[in-house]
Amino acid sequence: MHKIWAVVRREFVERARTRAFVIGTILGPLMMGALFVLPILMQRNTRVKNIIVLDAAQGGFGARVETALAAARRSEKPDSPKRYNVSRVSAEGRSLDQVRDSLVARTDRRDLGADQVDGIIVVEESALTRDTLSYFGANVGSPAEMGALSRTLRQAVLMEKLTREQISPQVLSSVVKPIALQTQRISRGKLTGESGEASFALAYAMSFVLYMALLIYGMQVMTSTVEEKTNRINEVLVSSLTPFQLLMGKVLGVGSVGLLQLSIWAGTAYLLSSQRERIGRMLGAGSEAVAAMPIPVIPAETFAVFLLFFVLGFLFYAAAYAAVGSACNTVQETQQVSAPLTILIVVGLMLMFRLLDEPSGTMGRIMSLVPPFAPFVTPVRNSLSPLSAGDLALSVLAMVLGVLAMVWVAGRIYRVGVLMYGKRASFAEMFRWIRAS
Amino acid sequence: MTDAVVRVENVTKRFSGHTAVRDLSLEIPRGVIFGLLGPNGAGKSTTIRMIMDIIEPDEGRISLFGGPGKGRELSARIGFLPEERGLYKKMKVLDHLVFLAEIKGLSTGTARKKAGEWLERLGLGDWADKKVEDLSKGMQQKVQFTGTLLHDPELVLLDEPFSGLDPVNSQIMKEVVIDLARQGRTVLFSTHIMEQAEKMCERVVIISRGRKVVDGTMAEVKREGGGRHVALAFHRDPAKAAAVLRDRAHVANLDDSGATAELELAAGADPDRLLADLVRSGVGISRFAIVEPSLQSIFIAKVGAEAATAPASEGHNA
Repeated sequence: MHKIWAVVRREFVERARTRAFVIGTILGPLMMGALFVLPILMQRNTRVKNIIVLDAAQGGFGARVETALAAARRSEKPDSPKRYNVSRVSAEGRSLDQVRDSLVARTDRRDLGADQVDGIIVVEESALTRDTLSYFGANVGSPAEMGALSRTLRQAVLMEKLTREQISPQVLSSVVKPIALQTQRISRGKLTGESGEASFALAYAMSFVLYMALLIYGMQVMTSTVEEKTNRINEVLVSSLTPFQLLMGKVLGVGSVGLLQLSIWAGTAYLLSSQRERIGRMLGAGSEAVAAMPIPVIPAETFAVFLLFFVLGFLFYAAAYAAVGSACNTVQETQQVSAPLTILIVVGLMLMFRLLDEPSGTMGRIMSLVPPFAPFVTPVRNSLSPLSAGDLALSVLAMVLGVLAMVWVAGRIYRVGVLMYGKRASFAEMFRWIRAS
Repeated sequence: MTDAVVRVENVTKRFSGHTAVRDLSLEIPRGVIFGLLGPNGAGKSTTIRMIMDIIEPDEGRISLFGGPGKGRELSARIGFLPEERGLYKKMKVLDHLVFLAEIKGLSTGTARKKAGEWLERLGLGDWADKKVEDLSKGMQQKVQFTGTLLHDPELVLLDEPFSGLDPVNSQIMKEVVIDLARQGRTVLFSTHIMEQAEKMCERVVIISRGRKVVDGTMAEVKREGGGRHVALAFHRDPAKAAAVLRDRAHVANLDDSGATAELELAAGADPDRLLADLVRSGVGISRFAIVEPSLQSIFIAKVGAEAATAPASEGHNA
């Protein structure tokens, strides 16, 4: 045990000391913080947009559009700030294009101050027949802004159409109110107060982090195994340690570095999400803005399952990567031999995308019990709709068995591989090593 | 049972295409410095790696300390310096030594203390906190050598311990090895430098192309090395001696180093006649002595012809 511990400690200390680890570990929380804080800061600085309604229509159509825009708010709450300053310009007696171009000349002019134009909506009679309105502006690239604008305009056009059909204003206003679909996640028979979008984002983020972490740390185990071979330090190591001690020490050492890094990252995310109100207040953002933060609420249980499956998945893949490393002589060779493993991980990631649609389907259930895929599938399924304790236990059990089998197989390849020099071992040879007693 | 620390019996090891070690037997008694000698590719490293149980012999058996345990199982009692040196380049020297000692089973505290002492002893005290990659090759070699001794092994296997070292460092390592033997430890080292072995070894085995050609104590080997040997040194015109030295009537074997030479007299040759011929040739002689054969000359006589024609593929596993 002391010997394995010495290897674990060496791997841990030597890796945690590297600049790459320190920078990566600090950069993660910094980026998350930025992701959290920047939108708040940006939102705080959003100006009310100056919109000109260029009215070339008959009757009150232009005025209706103007009113609708002026009433638009930043959010559904009535006290939220308004989106637009609207003014109406009539195109009467002039060429529409000329007026438009003169207005376009006033866009993007800081020097005009409040007279600067951000966007122009051209309201024509044809809008009612062709269901088309034209908007000219610098912000057409923003899906969020264009979405809000087109929702407002759709309503105004609908109102105008119905008015012309002699529908009474009272009926109108109740008919065209949009419906807001408010989503809330149910977890274990209770409402969570968490929106569907947030849990989707969490599942998505988790799958990516798992994918990256398993791939990166698995590869580290492989590279370090090959390097020990090229360094020729192997003979000293195997003359003092059993290959199994060496394998386990290496896997556990690299794994604990990975776990530390992931814990720091996930811990930061957890802290940010649980303290979001306070941080929001410190930055002077409304609760509205805070709720819209891209940091999902992370329940402690989801967090624990995630880390548990990272550990199990890591042990599984790292052992396999170590075996591959031991069968090769150079880092270049490992790239070919490790391809099947990398494909397994990528397939795991792909499966997860499918699962996001239907987390509790048959495929999801089965994949939770298949060791190469369970580390991806189970935590993501669990975050989308929590698994029963029994299902979770079954998946953990399958994974533990998978890990034991993989460590056994890897140990047998490793035992022979670390002392093989010269040519790269073929898969057939590796298979023979596994069977040899 | 004799008190042999290492007993190799009829061991054969084949690699694809050639036989590296052929029916080799040897015995290393406790507390001696044992030299495993041979030209490059003779099978020295293969033998040592088989003793350490890093590779398995195809035939024959190896026993250690008179018991059934194999090299790697008994690793706590053995120190092993492989021919291919290797250290973790990014680790600090002291940390590295502590790690090497810990995987031999020492506690961290003991390991740290021992490593510190050894670094001082080998003059590396100031380098303890430097990274391995910042050290010169010779210093790295000393660090690795130290790493094989931290756990006070009873048996020390050193594969070419002196290669690449300057005379000063060679001397330091030599003293350490002699000191180990004085403490009753057993040292096996391989080399192809005969002067080194001659000064240090009590017993030697010379192998060539996987086969044992000489085995015994240094005194026995020299006696069997046989014949009458003459050591010569010239102070002027050594080229003039060439014809005389090549005369088969006088000389059976010649190790010509230019300014000096050692030769084995041919059967029935008369040293007085040889001296007379040399004087007549006009060469300036500063030494003419009838001596015991040097290990070098025995080596050349025994394996010279074979080594010169050693197939290229023998470097494969060295």
